[in-house]
Amino acid sequence: MYIDRRGFGYNFCVPLSRLTCSACGAELTYDSGKALEHSGGKVACPYEGLAYAELRSGHDRIYFGRWRKVEATPLDVRRAYHQIGRHLSAIAQALGERDLPAARGDLERAVEAFRTEDPGTGSPELLRLMDHALSYAHRSIDALLHETGLPAHSPMDFAEWYDAVEVPFRDEW
Amino acid sequence: MIPLDRYPKEITLRDGARLTFRPMVRDDADRLREFFRQIPPEDKMYFREDVDRKEVVERWAETLDYGAVLPILALEGDRVVGDTTLHRDRTGWKQRVGALRIQIATDYRHRGLGTAMLREMRHVGEKTALRHLVAEMIEEQHGAIRAFEKLGFERAVVYRNFVNDQKGRLHNLVVLLYSMRQSEDELNF
Repeated sequence: MYIDRRGFGYNFCVPLSRLTCSACGAELTYDSGKALEHSGGKVACPYEGLAYAELRSGHDRIYFGRWRKVEATPLDVRRAYHQIGRHLSAIAQALGERDLPAARGDLERAVEAFRTEDPGTGSPELLRLMDHALSYAHRSIDALLHETGLPAHSPMDFAEWYDAVEVPFRDEW
Repeated sequence: MIPLDRYPKEITLRDGARLTFRPMVRDDADRLREFFRQIPPEDKMYFREDVDRKEVVERWAETLDYGAVLPILALEGDRVVGDTTLHRDRTGWKQRVGALRIQIATDYRHRGLGTAMLREMRHVGEKTALRHLVAEMIEEQHGAIRAFEKLGFERAVVYRNFVNDQKGRLHNLVVLLYSMRQSEDELNF
């Protein structure tokens, strides 16, 4: 630790803090120093107050999950697979009887991709199909948001709350 | 059945800008002309008609027929900042195919409006029992192509050196295709 005019800091790697939001279920990993700096003393869930917070955080938990990293273990993949299954169920519940064929079509595509491979077989196709299922799920959430007049969900807006290394560029049209 | 009861629809962009989506009406001719007046000439070359001519836009306004062409405008207050149209044939072999066109004001590009308009038209297409949506653009329109692909459109075909610009240079034309989900009954004919 060091002290200078601006206060104190660390000259070694500080472990990240973890938080599970009781409202939306978000599993967050963050730098507590930075988080407190932005929030004025209280760490609040970044999804708090957002429409479809549970679906957004459910998506991002998988999107930034360990299964997509080079060091992922078969257990990480299996865990992510089941998270995707639960995530798709949550989207189906949110859709309910709503007359949103585009969102429903995306969800059907997600379920189709999800069911194509069994996670126990160790198929090389599994990761690609899980990725597809998550993308279709994202589109379905965005269609729900669009119906309420809101912009699409952007996981990268929440990247700092996850142990995410890669940050792809944003491409708006 | 075109779902017109959903309009006017309020939309918020990522940067907080609030817009209204609604179908074009006869009184919009002047607003639309003003919108096209501000579109850069290099973009107008891909239009099928000369939108700088007053009579062209007035004819559109006077002959509105949502069943054939559904124009949805994006408005910031009274100003048109985006225009998307869904074209379809009432009869014939392509009656289940909708053709999409989208045009956005320069100051509203790269703000998510194009994607929101595309998402809106995808919804309309699904609700009007279309089977496919198609869109054409030149290959250099990378941002637009990526936005279409993100929403499930696929490159159906690329015509090499197919269209020319004002300076006579040739460009590849990309045809993007989106196929709706079909029920089991439709598939088993």
